[in-house]
Amino acid sequence: MPEWLSVIVDNLPLLLKGALSTLQLTSLAVLIGLAIGIFVGMGRLSKYRIIRYPSSVYVEFLRGTPLMVQLFLVYFGLPELGLEFDRFTAAVIALGINSGAYVAEIVRAGIQSVPKGQYEAARSLGMSHAQAMIYVILPQAFRHILPALGNEFIALAKDSSLAMVIGTVELMRSAQYIVSRTFMSFPIYGGVALIYFAITFSVSRLVKFVEGRLKV
Amino acid sequence: MTVLKVEGLHKYFGKLYVLKGIDLEVKKGEVISIIGPSGSGKSTLLRCINLLEEYQRGKIYFKGELITHRNINRIRSSIGMVFQQFNLFPHLSVLNNLILAPMKVKNMQKDEAVEKAKKLLERVGLIEKINEKPGNLSGGQQQRVAIARALMMDPELMLFDEPTSALDPELVKEVLDVIKDLAQSGMTMLIVTHEMRFACDVSDRVVFMDEGRIVEMGPPEKIFSNPENERTREFLGHFLSV
Repeated sequence: MPEWLSVIVDNLPLLLKGALSTLQLTSLAVLIGLAIGIFVGMGRLSKYRIIRYPSSVYVEFLRGTPLMVQLFLVYFGLPELGLEFDRFTAAVIALGINSGAYVAEIVRAGIQSVPKGQYEAARSLGMSHAQAMIYVILPQAFRHILPALGNEFIALAKDSSLAMVIGTVELMRSAQYIVSRTFMSFPIYGGVALIYFAITFSVSRLVKFVEGRLKV
Repeated sequence: MTVLKVEGLHKYFGKLYVLKGIDLEVKKGEVISIIGPSGSGKSTLLRCINLLEEYQRGKIYFKGELITHRNINRIRSSIGMVFQQFNLFPHLSVLNNLILAPMKVKNMQKDEAVEKAKKLLERVGLIEKINEKPGNLSGGQQQRVAIARALMMDPELMLFDEPTSALDPELVKEVLDVIKDLAQSGMTMLIVTHEMRFACDVSDRVVFMDEGRIVEMGPPEKIFSNPENERTREFLGHFLSV
């Protein structure tokens, strides 16, 4: 077995453990991002300024500052205010609230893509604003934004590698550890690239599949 | 009994003055057609009635009750509206389009809602399309489903906003037939339309609007054969000479 291959094989368990952690990190951040994104996205379209303005500030601030700074703020900054998280939780929170800003913009565009007549028809039948959103507008918006959401989740999976800067043990951090012991950069980072690709490609296939199932 | 009463209704779109003091009373069982040139405020009047448009001055009463933002959801559930663009929910089947509002707004049981939906689809001649998505239906079929959807709520007043204007000419009749059938069943209706022959046939009263005002109002025989107002005569001249 050539040396580069045996390095990979020997360290495969560690790499896969890192990959699993990356998957967990990404999935949890996706869930937080979606939850925040739906509310903030709707908030940006609210007729009430008291909801609209904070939503806009949220989106602008989190889109307009580097993810790395946000990671540092959550992990190193918040403890000074009495909020302490372990490295994994801090990464989930930072990635989640960051993604929330992007998802919010996608959700806003999705809601605006549904013709106004749909909302009017729902309201004319006596539905409340909330019922019209839940049963009529959001399901249609979701279909329209699925490709954009897929992109966001892929970006998030890749961005999760940045969590290594606060020491979260995920795929990239595991790889670095292996390289520092073996000095075999190319096979390890190459393997890591392939694993990231496997993850993002699965996401993109999954989105395609769901898109097909939901076709109007 | 008076179902609807509009009093001194004024409406601006920004600086544009679109309704300049509308007064109108609709009795139970009455069918009223609103005709007039484009931009005369016909559709806006209809949309003000169920508060899809805000208005600046005036009062609208439904069965004696002043319509406000507080009671609007309850009142809307008794006022059916049919739109020019149908506005069926494209992600839901025909059946689910019909049963959604009764189940969510009136807490109707699903079995009961489905039974009712089947009856109404039978009535508009579309029972075989019950599981189709709206996108697979023709415009005329979609509009008939939209009418059935509005009827699911047992409305006491139906508003039709140019229900055939978006249809291919050969599909207009099937929709008008359904509306006619509804008129004969005693439904109270306000119909904004450009179909003059239909308006003449089906209405108890015809309202002619121009530039945000009701210019003339009366029985169809009167309006269509012997209008008093110069503007009405001019407008109908286009149709009567055809």
